[in-house]
Amino acid sequence: MKKLLITLSLILGATPILAENIDVTGTVQSRCTVNVDTPGMYGNPNAYTLTTASASSGVDPIVRFDVTLADAYHAQVSYPTAFTSSPSLPDTVSWVGTVAVAQMSTSDQSGYQAASTTSGSMRQYALAHAGTLWVKATSIATYGGGQAKAFPGGAYKAVVLAQCIAQ
Amino acid sequence: MYRSVALCLLLCSSVLGHEMTPTYPEWQVSYSGGIKKTTMRLWNSREDVQYYEIGVFDDEWKPIPFVTSYKIMKVDYLSQVKFDVYIRETNIKDARYICSLSKLRSDNVSKTLLATRICSKFKAAWEL
Repeated sequence: MKKLLITLSLILGATPILAENIDVTGTVQSRCTVNVDTPGMYGNPNAYTLTTASASSGVDPIVRFDVTLADAYHAQVSYPTAFTSSPSLPDTVSWVGTVAVAQMSTSDQSGYQAASTTSGSMRQYALAHAGTLWVKATSIATYGGGQAKAFPGGAYKAVVLAQCIAQ
Repeated sequence: MYRSVALCLLLCSSVLGHEMTPTYPEWQVSYSGGIKKTTMRLWNSREDVQYYEIGVFDDEWKPIPFVTSYKIMKVDYLSQVKFDVYIRETNIKDARYICSLSKLRSDNVSKTLLATRICSKFKAAWEL
């Protein structure tokens, strides 16, 4: 009996331990998400002006860009230069607007505004760091070609275009 | 704490916007000779948008002919659509960007609408 136990223990001890390494793999891909943080609204401080300024009961539109990898995308935001829908406007409309960084998720992004470039109404940011960036656009439309004519009554819409372009 | 908030913002972002991947697609062989295809994924978490327009462009943003099942695609809120884009092999060297642009609805309020566009890029051999 004793010999049997010793033999058995030797056999079990000699049994190789079967183990398999299971690889867990993953890939981090670049990705950009464009989010509407705050939809804009026009206020009407006087008969001939439509503005998104909060002092005039408007709301500045804010767009948010989320990127998961650095140096993969450019963010581009354009303020409006025309109405996409409005009542008939026989006179000219003058457009003014700005695009600026409103908030950022890391201090690394603090140089974005200074490093940004513009082309017409569009401002471009090179998203050199992973994280979140909030960009605010402002828009002022004045009717009458400097003669302060009243906007005709009705609903006015203009489009802020926010783009994420792969570098 | 600051990093946690930033991470949360990054992760939570997937329920608020418009996203298209991959960032750098590649052309693959299709079932038809002389035609290549690539597969894209479009995610919509904009409640105010249901349709996205697909476009393929060259380096100077001139449109390149292509085929998809629909050029304007319906993507329901909080859902994703995978779609194939087909292009002639002769146009491949010119095709640089594939973009999705949100199509906006109209209503009777004076406001600024936010159109979103995401463009993925076909990298040239010297960029890889």
